[in-house]
Amino acid sequence: MQRRHKVLVYALMALIMIFFLGPIFWFILLAFRHPSEAYSLPPQLFFEPYLGNFGDTFVDPGNNAPQLLSSVIVSTGATLLSLPFALSAAYALSRFAMRGKEFIMNWYISLLIAPPIVFVIPYFILMSRIGWAGTYQAMIVTLQTLAIPFSVWLLKSFIDEVPLDLEEAAWVDGAGRFAAFFRIIIPLALPGIIVTSMFTFVFSWNNVIFPLALSKQSTTTLPVGTISFFASTGVYWGHIAATAVVAMLPPMIIFLLLGRYVVRGLTFGAVKG
Amino acid sequence: MPKRYTIQRRLPYLLLAPSVIVLLALILYPLAFALRNSFWFWNLQTSPMPLYHSGWDNYRMVFQVTPFAVALKNTLLLGFLGTFAQFWFGMGIALLLHTHLRGMGLMRAALIMPTTLAPVVAGFLFRYLLEPKGGILPWLLGGLGFPVPPQGFLGNANTALFSIGLVDTWQWTPFFAIVLYAGLLSINEEVKEAAQVDGASGWRMFWSITLPLLRPIAAFLVMIRFMQLFNSFDLVFVLTSGGPGTASRTLSFNLYREGLVNYNIGLTAAMTWLVVIIVSVIINLYLFFIYRKREW
Repeated sequence: MQRRHKVLVYALMALIMIFFLGPIFWFILLAFRHPSEAYSLPPQLFFEPYLGNFGDTFVDPGNNAPQLLSSVIVSTGATLLSLPFALSAAYALSRFAMRGKEFIMNWYISLLIAPPIVFVIPYFILMSRIGWAGTYQAMIVTLQTLAIPFSVWLLKSFIDEVPLDLEEAAWVDGAGRFAAFFRIIIPLALPGIIVTSMFTFVFSWNNVIFPLALSKQSTTTLPVGTISFFASTGVYWGHIAATAVVAMLPPMIIFLLLGRYVVRGLTFGAVKG
Repeated sequence: MPKRYTIQRRLPYLLLAPSVIVLLALILYPLAFALRNSFWFWNLQTSPMPLYHSGWDNYRMVFQVTPFAVALKNTLLLGFLGTFAQFWFGMGIALLLHTHLRGMGLMRAALIMPTTLAPVVAGFLFRYLLEPKGGILPWLLGGLGFPVPPQGFLGNANTALFSIGLVDTWQWTPFFAIVLYAGLLSINEEVKEAAQVDGASGWRMFWSITLPLLRPIAAFLVMIRFMQLFNSFDLVFVLTSGGPGTASRTLSFNLYREGLVNYNIGLTAAMTWLVVIIVSVIINLYLFFIYRKREW
């Protein structure tokens, strides 16, 4: 490539990186600004870092600390609950020829792209009728409408990659299908199972519509918690930024760890990447 | 027929059954609930139970009481423009990444950050940046001589929906970029070299070879993203609450307002079914065109 072209490509990339990362950077700075400096113009890049926003929200009075715990409970619960359902379905779709396979795959994905608000309002009434209003299990169970279809698709792509020969060798050795499943598929697809769990965790973590309708104050999750600072008494930008920064960290770290699996996870296993 | 054989034949269906049963229960309940209550007058603020049979009133009210037509127009506009912008912007970035200059790997890894954020967090982020008094974007754009509405971009009826689309584009363009880049990597170099030998120029090669080969991936991405934009709720909720007036109200936000703010369950149920029908039509039309073109 010509030198002139190289310079042009780098210049464009620099602008692109500023466009996509600049806003996040600026928002993280907000979390460390004193509330009185949230709006100082011209913008101050260098300032005395202030930790009070995190102190107020997570330590004293720390109203958001329980929300962090709620987020962990709901996301972990939704992920763990989806796994057995998704594993058996993914194994069936990967290993058997059956009628209507394409239809079933499309059915799962149609659930993933359906508008969640359509389901949420009836759930809201159902949960209060069965006495689950505001409980963790209400969120964990209803999140399965997203967690199971997503995990089925992604896990299938990983099980497809486990060579059938290995499984057949186990059958020849006298292992039944179930024994072979636990001795061959589970260990060999384990990286895929972990990757799938991490994505399900992130999607549940970032979900707002289910906890917004189905949680109560003591069980609400962190991303929903950020909304509460939009009070009628004013907007507490420092508090919003501090909680939002804590809420954005787990997904960011998980995506960094996922590395080359990011493309596959975001496309439900359809693009290998 | 030996017993073992029939079990083997039924095994895949037995393995699928738990997930299918759970999911069917989780989606049939809301749909049946909505279908029944769409013909009943029921407001949770006045009664914990449906009050009386009201025929098709709820369906009529959807159009008379709520800005359903406006919300549908906004939703489709957001879906089409957002998907279009994100696809082409992402494609451009993918082509830049594909130059494989030093440092591109690192930039690709960093680029995904906006996509990892919860949409609510992305919403707050831009609400802060766009704040009419003190936000950095109006300050920058104003300084560059760009006309900034006095109520801010989110408070102005002409720019509110457009701003939501831009924030979504900011969040999801990296997704298109890295997936399309993965697609570019999967294209066989020999095909391109053969075209080069035949004297195809850069643009010609992009339109006649690269783009058609990316078609299956692109079709999948566009479908998913269009529907996610169609379902937009979180961003609307945080950025504008559908305002000013109804300028940026989407179908999802309209449902939320009637259902979980006004507690008008009967009317929400009717609207739910209208949305379900619209969504089914869109998905089926899309699948129809994709499969037809693939055969052709």
